[in-house]
Amino acid sequence: MQTLTKGAGEGTYATVYKGRSRTTNEIVALKEIHLDAEEGTPSTAIREISLMKELKHVNIVRLYDVIHTETKLVLIFEYCEQDLKRYMDAHGDRCALDPMTVRSFMYQLLKGIAFCHDNRVLHRDLKPQNLLINKKGELKVGDFGLARAFGVPVNTFSNEVVTLWYRAPDVLLGSRTYSTSIDIWSCGCIFAEMISGVPLFRGRDNQDQLLHIMRIVGTPEDRVLRKIATESPEIQLKQYPRYPKIPFSQVLPKASPQALDLLEKLLQFDPSKRLTAAEALSHPYFTGTVNMAYMPSAGAMPPPPYNYPNPHAHQQQQFSQQQQQQQQQQQQQQVQQAAYAQQQANLYAMQQVQAQAQAQAQAAQAQGQVPPPYYQQQNFHR
Amino acid sequence: MSRALYPLASLEQVEKSPSREDGLPPDLEEDLRAYGCKLIHHAGILLKQKQVAVATAQILFHRFWFVTSLKQFGIGDIGMGALYLASKLEECPLRMRDLINVYDLLLRRASHSNSTGDFKYTPMSYFGNTFYDLKDALVVAEMQILKRLGFDVHVVLPYGTLINYMRLLDLTGREDAVSRAWGYLNDALQTPVYVLYPVPTIVSAAILLATRHLQIPLPSTPPNCWWELFDAEWEDVWAVCGYIMRLYRERSKEDQARVAGMLTKKDVRRWLEEHGHKEGKH
Repeated sequence: MQTLTKGAGEGTYATVYKGRSRTTNEIVALKEIHLDAEEGTPSTAIREISLMKELKHVNIVRLYDVIHTETKLVLIFEYCEQDLKRYMDAHGDRCALDPMTVRSFMYQLLKGIAFCHDNRVLHRDLKPQNLLINKKGELKVGDFGLARAFGVPVNTFSNEVVTLWYRAPDVLLGSRTYSTSIDIWSCGCIFAEMISGVPLFRGRDNQDQLLHIMRIVGTPEDRVLRKIATESPEIQLKQYPRYPKIPFSQVLPKASPQALDLLEKLLQFDPSKRLTAAEALSHPYFTGTVNMAYMPSAGAMPPPPYNYPNPHAHQQQQFSQQQQQQQQQQQQQQVQQAAYAQQQANLYAMQQVQAQAQAQAQAAQAQGQVPPPYYQQQNFHR
Repeated sequence: MSRALYPLASLEQVEKSPSREDGLPPDLEEDLRAYGCKLIHHAGILLKQKQVAVATAQILFHRFWFVTSLKQFGIGDIGMGALYLASKLEECPLRMRDLINVYDLLLRRASHSNSTGDFKYTPMSYFGNTFYDLKDALVVAEMQILKRLGFDVHVVLPYGTLINYMRLLDLTGREDAVSRAWGYLNDALQTPVYVLYPVPTIVSAAILLATRHLQIPLPSTPPNCWWELFDAEWEDVWAVCGYIMRLYRERSKEDQARVAGMLTKKDVRRWLEEHGHKEGKH
């Protein structure tokens, strides 16, 4: 193993290097953890290794190997260029990402989390800094230092999990019997942050964080709070100011109605009401029609269903004014223009159909109905 | 989900454990492992540690001896390392100094049991060598458990399953049956069954022992056998019962003294030299 650079990132308990494998020539990330005589092997490292070595998925950072010596542990990870936070700083419009990128990242994030949950792993520390983006635009969930396996019986877990801004309200209330829904809350916070460019709930401490959440999603009714407290008996309820709910459309004016609907279903105060990662993946926001012509990454999507006009048409027009052998060309030109007009008409028609579909879907959602089946014709598969 | 939730020993590992390969008789190995688990249990009580951490430690402890010989590591050190590690895994970490103090007491009391006179414990000095030696041993033990188990430290405990099964069998009203079965599950932690059989089989064995002792009838004639509800094979259930019941047999004074004098790898090595009649490999 050849070390290229130090300080590809300094974590809480480790130094990260960029390196290259001498055998495969592949670039990797090396995470060096010093073994402390005061606490032995850090529990973050134990969790990270024991859980990640089983989790092999495109949307989860791959742990290739572990080198264990007397004084240190070196974890060898798949290399990713940057994390989502830096990506947003570099590529976003005041950190806000364009809707197509948001949708792609959100899909990949939920795919990765669904895989964790299927394998009985809670991540417990999802935030933009822990989501890595590689050159190909693939998002990978990393840093499993706070993750843990969950079994069939209800266990009590540590309450000190998840960076404050992404921490679910039930955890803020003191829950120790939380489950997969705490990761879903974090996904919702990240979703909103990608759309707007700023973290959604920025509290200073536990209590302040809870108030920040209530100021947007509204203070839940006593009935709901009592229900949450019965499901997690370790919760201590206090008196909270009564905040009305603010519609997410006011908080995130740029977001599409489908995005807002998904966000609403992820950021449910009551953990039992939040969608699962698998359910979120089949939400119309992902399965519904979106204008494919604007998809950014070529190759990932099928080509648009019409032909682009000849890029030289304009030039030819200029020539035709100067040159004398016009007739032939004019004819040709007319043919081309006609074709172009036809294509424009087709495109316009297609957009209309989509607008219609969206309108219908919104209407259906407003009435709480299932969207019509043709609405899901174009699936978004990576 | 395809992958197993917890690793079980392979047939090869069961047939020849590393300690047996080093010439240690199977019954002595069994006694030493059980004693190591008792020490973990005692330490857990003195430290007021949660039972989930204690049970996890005992299972990791048993797994370790399927990949390592007792000639290389002592049951005292590995037991201490297992309890320290399991406490981290179950999110109720222990302070190193507390664990070391408790283990020092337990180990000295154990070695005293072979001599006459009253046991009087004098605590170690705060910055003394005893403390630093034990601390080094603890860090090494934890790391060796992780390394030799390949960080495969996921453990599934049987308690939730017992509750489910008792409900299904409509036995939750019989408090005596529930607590007896619960006790058998805890005692079974001194045997290697948690590394040999899946949890449903072990829980079925605990229920079988509890209901037979209390003479509670359950459907047990083919084709209506209650354990089949839980996908357990009769032979396996019966074998687990055997492991558990063996713990309660009468032991001679010599057997007890023999185990209490073999808590470190040095003691085990000395014993092997003295009894080295059939040491093939070393």
